[in-house]
Amino acid sequence: MASKSAIPERVGEAAHAPPTAVRTEDDPTRDSYGTAFALLAPAIALYAVFSLLPIVATVGISFTNSGGFNTEAQFVGLDNYVRASEDPIVWQSLLRTFLWLFYHVVLAGGLGLVLALAVSSLARGKVFFRTTLFLPHLVSLAVVGVIWANIYDPFYGLLNTLLASLNLSHLAQGWLSDPFLVLFSVNVASSWQGFGLYMLLFIAGLQNVDPTLYDAAEVDGASAWQKLIHVTLPGLREVLTFVVSLAMINGLKGFATVFVMTNGGPFYASEIITTYIYRMAFQAQDHGLAAVLCIMMSVLAITITVTFNRWRARGAT
Amino acid sequence: MKTNGLMKSTAMLAALAGAAFAVPATVQAQNLVVWGSDLQADPLVNELWQEIKTRFEEANPGVTIEYMPPTGNISDGAVQAAIQSEAGPDVLLTNSGIGRVTIVANAKLVQPLTAQYEELGWKDKIYPWLYEQLSTQFNGEIYEVPDGVDAIAIWYHKDMFEENGWSLEGGWADFTATLDAIKAAGVEPIAVGIRNCCNGGHLIGNFLQAAAGPQMMGEVVAGEVPWTDPAVVAGAQNLVDSVKAGHINPQMTSLDQDAAIRLWANKRAAIFFGGPWFINNVRQLDYDLANLGYATIPSDLDDGSRPTGGVGWSWMVPVSSKQPELAMKWIDFMLSEEIMMLRAEHQTSSQLMARDLPDVEPVVPVMGEVFAAAAEGVGYNPSVYIPGSALDTYYQVIGGLVGGQVSPEDGLAQIEAKMGD
Repeated sequence: MASKSAIPERVGEAAHAPPTAVRTEDDPTRDSYGTAFALLAPAIALYAVFSLLPIVATVGISFTNSGGFNTEAQFVGLDNYVRASEDPIVWQSLLRTFLWLFYHVVLAGGLGLVLALAVSSLARGKVFFRTTLFLPHLVSLAVVGVIWANIYDPFYGLLNTLLASLNLSHLAQGWLSDPFLVLFSVNVASSWQGFGLYMLLFIAGLQNVDPTLYDAAEVDGASAWQKLIHVTLPGLREVLTFVVSLAMINGLKGFATVFVMTNGGPFYASEIITTYIYRMAFQAQDHGLAAVLCIMMSVLAITITVTFNRWRARGAT
Repeated sequence: MKTNGLMKSTAMLAALAGAAFAVPATVQAQNLVVWGSDLQADPLVNELWQEIKTRFEEANPGVTIEYMPPTGNISDGAVQAAIQSEAGPDVLLTNSGIGRVTIVANAKLVQPLTAQYEELGWKDKIYPWLYEQLSTQFNGEIYEVPDGVDAIAIWYHKDMFEENGWSLEGGWADFTATLDAIKAAGVEPIAVGIRNCCNGGHLIGNFLQAAAGPQMMGEVVAGEVPWTDPAVVAGAQNLVDSVKAGHINPQMTSLDQDAAIRLWANKRAAIFFGGPWFINNVRQLDYDLANLGYATIPSDLDDGSRPTGGVGWSWMVPVSSKQPELAMKWIDFMLSEEIMMLRAEHQTSSQLMARDLPDVEPVVPVMGEVFAAAAEGVGYNPSVYIPGSALDTYYQVIGGLVGGQVSPEDGLAQIEAKMGD
């Protein structure tokens, strides 16, 4: 009798026990772990084949002089790492990648937030504006690059023509030829494509802000600005964190618009790390150096994301 | 009778069965995927390539040609990506020259064709100087079969030059005076699309050759004379001076080749540096081909005023080709007199073929001027000849020179530094 009564007691304990708890052969949780593993196996296999394996391969290639998939690569130790550290274009493109990231977070994230606030405050037509403003996100980045390269065309482009028709010719610029302007100009195109997603996320976040807080602020005589600072933005904290993280990751992945609109030029003025990786890997077939740059970029992405999340967590406490 | 009928029927059945088995044995269905002309979207060009396809299929029963639309070339990495995808073409036509071929040859993406040059007599089907050049580039191994030779020089509007009394004759001072006059007339003197590599190379190649001469440029691209040689620096300085004088708008760095051609075809620019392929580009823009003028860049040197060029486009066989033997047949077919004449006399003909065709009557009259200009040979388009390791730096430096971001000395030193990589 005693043993019979002990069984349900032990099951109950095991069900609430941490995974490290000691289990015996007749422990029913063994089955649930087996089932979980079986269900996870396809996903794990896909992840291993398409993510883990390439990562391992990239690390391996970075220690070789691989000139392509069909060549025999020799082990060259840290040569590629030394080459990368001595290549001024690598450092310049890294700096530009940071600048690109900053522009993207501010332009795409900022525009997404502003438009989310504007659309949410509308009494009518929310769905129309939400849909319309999201549309650019559906356009492929390569197509966006072609469209905006034409907008910026110095001779026939929409932007300079518009400025001229408004008697503002003095504001017309070489949007893609001025080395100090080119990265910003390309980023505007990229951010135009990206802001729609961030706007939707912010709109979703705004719907979760407790409306009674606005009522309370109203009673306290808060201005619209004060409500934004003290009610809306704190209420959006979680979404804001997510959007900034997402924008940073998307910013790091920036490639298509730069490649299509400037090809990294003029004279490397818009070369970011991803375009340089492509150039090394697929144009120069210098896979060893390209692999090192990929690793650098991954480390950069991890560092930025972890640092940002730690900073945010510290702010939250 | 019954026996006879049965025997006849049996014999007929046997014959039919034999035929049914015999046909596939002699005519086996094969598919050859060809990455052909990048201009094939043009109906007229497509008409020519469809004719070539028909003739090849007739000459090779059972073979079907499937054209794969090119997504780019070696310069932009599209060829490399297509081959590595294993879903690429069986034979491809791409921009070439040792600089570009080095990239795909070193990466072992294309097959050596040296044996075919001997076995199929290809070495006698291209200019001897061309074969000599190709056979000394990769320790005797050859990876490309030239489809045509480029002849890059100045394209201008005949009417515009006649109306304004502008001339492209004389020396360098005369040339800059003409460019000044064009600028004063409110027209962009030179249109160039620097953004996507090659057209900037066409421009600077002519400027460098006009200052240093074709022989020295040959030695420079071969790595025998440094890029920092004063004669070469002088050519780059001429380019920078042209920018400063307003002959080349720095905003050209943001244009690609197509945008620059549009600018020229709309007569907002007077001069464009390009090869005869330019004819097809402007024809697509409905430009009056009778108004096309072709001239070599003025130079103070005796031999500085000639087109630059070299191998422009070549056939290659990817290592991933599923039909390597058929690919060789295709290249052999393209080198045949029949196809060369067909292409050279077609209304879309826009290149010097890979061997001398003395009987050719060009349909587009300006091609006669191209033939005449190239009669004494063409100089060196550096994009074609410099090693792949220096190509990217070369293109970026051109943008830097026109954009005012780098001095001629520093820019050329950067190219020189990459020559030995």
